[in-house]
Amino acid sequence: MELLSNLIQGFGYLAGVQPAVAIVAGVILGILAGAMPGLSPSMGVALLVPFTYNLSPQTALILLVSIYIAANYGGSITAVTINTPGTPSAVVTSFDGYPLTLQGKAGVGLGTSLVASTAGGIIGTIILIFFSVPLARLAVRLHPAEYFALAMFGLTTVASLGGKNWAKAFLAAMLGLLINTIGIDPISGVKRFTFGTYKLFDGFPLIPALIGLFALSEVFARIEEYKLEKGEEAKFEKTHWPTFLEYWKMKITIIRSSVLGTLIGIFPGAGATIAAFLSYDLAKKSSKDPDSFGKGNPDGVAAAEAANSSSVGGALVPLLALGIPGSATTAVLVGALMIHDLVPGPLLFVERPDIIYSLFAALLIANIVMLVLGMFGARLWVKVTIIPKKVLLPSILAVSIIGSFAVNYSFFDVGTCIGFGVAGWILKKYGYPGAPIVLGMVLGKLAETNFRRAVIMGGYKIFFTRPVSVVLLLLALLSFGVPMYQTYKEGKKEKASS
Amino acid sequence: MEIIKYFGKGAGVWVLIAVLAVIMLAVSVFVNRSSKKVYAGRIILPVFFFELALGFGIVTLGFPDRGEEVGPGVVPGLWIVCILGLSAFLLIRAFLGLEEKDQPWGHTGKVVIFIAMTVFYLIIMQIIGYALATILYLISGMYFLTYRNWRVMISLTTGWILFSYFAFYRLLYVPLPKGTLIEMIFG
Repeated sequence: MELLSNLIQGFGYLAGVQPAVAIVAGVILGILAGAMPGLSPSMGVALLVPFTYNLSPQTALILLVSIYIAANYGGSITAVTINTPGTPSAVVTSFDGYPLTLQGKAGVGLGTSLVASTAGGIIGTIILIFFSVPLARLAVRLHPAEYFALAMFGLTTVASLGGKNWAKAFLAAMLGLLINTIGIDPISGVKRFTFGTYKLFDGFPLIPALIGLFALSEVFARIEEYKLEKGEEAKFEKTHWPTFLEYWKMKITIIRSSVLGTLIGIFPGAGATIAAFLSYDLAKKSSKDPDSFGKGNPDGVAAAEAANSSSVGGALVPLLALGIPGSATTAVLVGALMIHDLVPGPLLFVERPDIIYSLFAALLIANIVMLVLGMFGARLWVKVTIIPKKVLLPSILAVSIIGSFAVNYSFFDVGTCIGFGVAGWILKKYGYPGAPIVLGMVLGKLAETNFRRAVIMGGYKIFFTRPVSVVLLLLALLSFGVPMYQTYKEGKKEKASS
Repeated sequence: MEIIKYFGKGAGVWVLIAVLAVIMLAVSVFVNRSSKKVYAGRIILPVFFFELALGFGIVTLGFPDRGEEVGPGVVPGLWIVCILGLSAFLLIRAFLGLEEKDQPWGHTGKVVIFIAMTVFYLIIMQIIGYALATILYLISGMYFLTYRNWRVMISLTTGWILFSYFAFYRLLYVPLPKGTLIEMIFG
């Protein structure tokens, strides 16, 4: 009952011009960022963070999560119409979406992806609401040792998903953690790795660093590729859009994929792409006509889209309840919260319930807005692909530069952004992902302060005497060990076959 | 121990950086002339991280010891040990040929020029101000990427300047750099 009344209050916070404009603008920008191949949801959110400095924390968060939700849907538009997925998770949507377009049924693919995305987003948000509130209540009681173990578990899970490059992903996370220690030590006041530069007393600024890692590195990579031709323009002929009955037939696929997508999204590092792949696979296996998948079965589009949209709600569970970002985009959201002096985690539910419940309400409304704008704008959104990269890339750089400058009105911050951009470009070239660096930078403070508090409270043995901490550390060890073992096994197999 | 601590603070840090840079350079030259040239990037990067962690580790030794159970160097030390281990692991893999070979470089020269243009933009922004520097940067950036539609270039640049003036300067109160030269001329 308390939850419901809080949620109603949350809707109350949205009754104003600013939140409404933030939702609509966020959804439009999100769809455009998603539809544009090369612009990821995390990059879209990172580029928009600087525009939120003077907004209230609620409005800023509403704008950014609206972008996050809509970008996941936006990726499907170009996947269906021109077989160019705007986001990595939309690759799965193109399996059946593009064959539908080839059959002259682009409307079926677009309509299905829109409705499934909306339903998935709403189901994911409902699960988020029911999951995060009790989890946050539980998390308030966690001991610092358990919090440290939790942060380690989050980091190792993210890094373990680096696949074949797991060691590089771990190394990237460790680099992020080390970068986070630069500056004045929050406990003893000792200057660490500042090399006499007073600008480093607060460490490297997070927002310019992540704009550099997500946006600039991508721009440099595109220039290096030098494939800057104009994108293909989608041609819409008169096409059939699904009827209500046709949507209704997909209800089981949509609900099942949404629940699965949300659950996968909860795990740090899993995210939209894995959710889409697994849901697609499940839909195919449980279909009466599995052979039609990959040849234009709307169920395939529905499964992929419902899963990737619902994973947003899932990814917000550990962020809001535990303060642990599980994905690149949620790490960017932590940065956005920090500039408004808010620390994500269970205490936010106690100290600023207005922020949490208005966010829940905004997530639900943003999905509805996305449905309306998606219905009327599909023909328009797809035009984004014809923007020449030769114009887009310098423009992204200009936005990044002014965005980094706006954090502290400092040229040092802009230099940080460029430096991280160059580093991100080189690292990516050799298989070192950028997202674990950001996660390390975000989780570093949480891990360090809790580690030191725990040791002060009970010595080093405390990590091994508290059951929850032991379990979490074992899980962290396991997620470090499993990819290591898999690499060893694969190496052995390769040796045997050669 | 005292010698190591010398490198941890003051002038010692700069000596340490110079020594590590020389080692890095020597490794790069050696790898590029050896049979492992195809793994050059996969070797040089872990060596760089190893050296970085080593350097940070030495600096950590110079942190003041106040007899605390968990001092300011403990947590960085933990991450440094992990970085050293992982870098060594990746280095061994590259030497054993278990890593993928380096991808050929693309249009790296163009990227370097673009980065230099961005740094130059940053410098001239402080002299001629945000608006003029941005106009120059955007137009030269698009031109450099072989875009030639002047109408689009000019309208986009003008639109961006107007947008950033209203969004950042008027709405978000960001003091966009006016430029020392412009301030000198116009006061």
